[in-house]
Amino acid sequence: MRKLFTLFFKYNALLLFLLYCSVSLLFIKLQNDNTFLKLRTSGVELSAAVNEKLVNLTRLLNVHKENERLMRVNRDMLSKVINIETLVGDERNRRKILTDSTFNASGFTMARVVDRKFSERENMLVINAGWKNGIKKDMTVLVPEGLVGRVTVVSEHYAKVMPLIHTDFKVSVVSDSSNSMGILSWNGGSESLAQVEHIPLSSHIKLHERIVTSDFSTFSIRGIPVGRIVRIKPDKLFYSIDVRLGVDFSSLTQVLIAPLKIEPEKVAIMSDSTLIEQIP
Amino acid sequence: MLCIIALVQEFGLSRLMLLEVFPDSLSVFLAFIAVTRGQKNSTSFGFAAGIIVGVISGNLGLNMLAKTVGGFLAGYFHSPDDSHATVKQKIRRFYGAVMIVGFAANAVMAFGDNPLGLPPAYRIVTLGFLESLLSLLLAGIANWLFLRKSFAD
Repeated sequence: MRKLFTLFFKYNALLLFLLYCSVSLLFIKLQNDNTFLKLRTSGVELSAAVNEKLVNLTRLLNVHKENERLMRVNRDMLSKVINIETLVGDERNRRKILTDSTFNASGFTMARVVDRKFSERENMLVINAGWKNGIKKDMTVLVPEGLVGRVTVVSEHYAKVMPLIHTDFKVSVVSDSSNSMGILSWNGGSESLAQVEHIPLSSHIKLHERIVTSDFSTFSIRGIPVGRIVRIKPDKLFYSIDVRLGVDFSSLTQVLIAPLKIEPEKVAIMSDSTLIEQIP
Repeated sequence: MLCIIALVQEFGLSRLMLLEVFPDSLSVFLAFIAVTRGQKNSTSFGFAAGIIVGVISGNLGLNMLAKTVGGFLAGYFHSPDDSHATVKQKIRRFYGAVMIVGFAANAVMAFGDNPLGLPPAYRIVTLGFLESLLSLLLAGIANWLFLRKSFAD
């Protein structure tokens, strides 16, 4: 017995070590037991909670950098969204024109209005189609709703358009019901109203008749809608007629450009009477 | 003290990673206990440290075994009071104990848990040695800062 106690005191460190190892091995063996599983999940909970606090503290210290990073991400996403929305809008407008069943847009060139000036100094539209796209001076610009204007200046990629609502713009028009012919012009004032002149009082023109371009025009193809008659006022020899235009010039985005219709012989015969003598 | 060191180790020093290993402040603590207080104390403290670390990490049994083995082996570096060892000798034993604790604990953990799928030989020899070196560096800093006086006493 004494020897046993002596042995115990001599090797107590080793015995303690063996005891601890046994307990550890027992814990390893029982690690999937319910109690240990609960202990493990509690340990994970504690560890995760402390780590979260530390991470939040680190984030707080780096908040300036994080803000800058988020600003950059915001800026990139905003430019993407704007680009996508613009493309979607353009595509929608383009489809609207192309799918308009009342209008055959084949053979026409499509362009986008990239600039518009409506002031006392300048009144014009700029479209993003130029001579590279086959655009020429005096081509008719239109949309399915109606006549827009006439090409006046052409560069490589762009063209200037004199809109219908320009005091220098004139086009020969005809009413579709009574076939009354006149000259459409714009005398200032409202963008949605133009005037038709030279319709004699003998004409049977009526209110709400549709006005379209006539074949008399030297540049415009016939049949392009212009608007509807909203006021007829008899004057001395002619009617004074107001036409509500079909085109909303403030919301023009996509336009069509019709092929050139210039008939040089017609222009020549109208301007030079000597040409008649030359015809056999 | 042991709880504080264990928490600092788990939530602080474990982030100072170099080649998948980090310095172990508990090895430094166990080595100090072993050199100053003996094998029984270092074994008991190793067991307790293993419990704390095991609860936090979720691997209770293995951590207990690893730290117990480390504490026991470090106990062989104990300087008895009647040995009249100089401060330098104690510090050398202390560094030796740090190396042994780090190496032994790493060896025991290698047999139980291998999350990166590393070869055992690589883990025990290379990473164990590296971890011991990092712990040794930590021990050097601790010694320079506040342990020297304790060894002198």
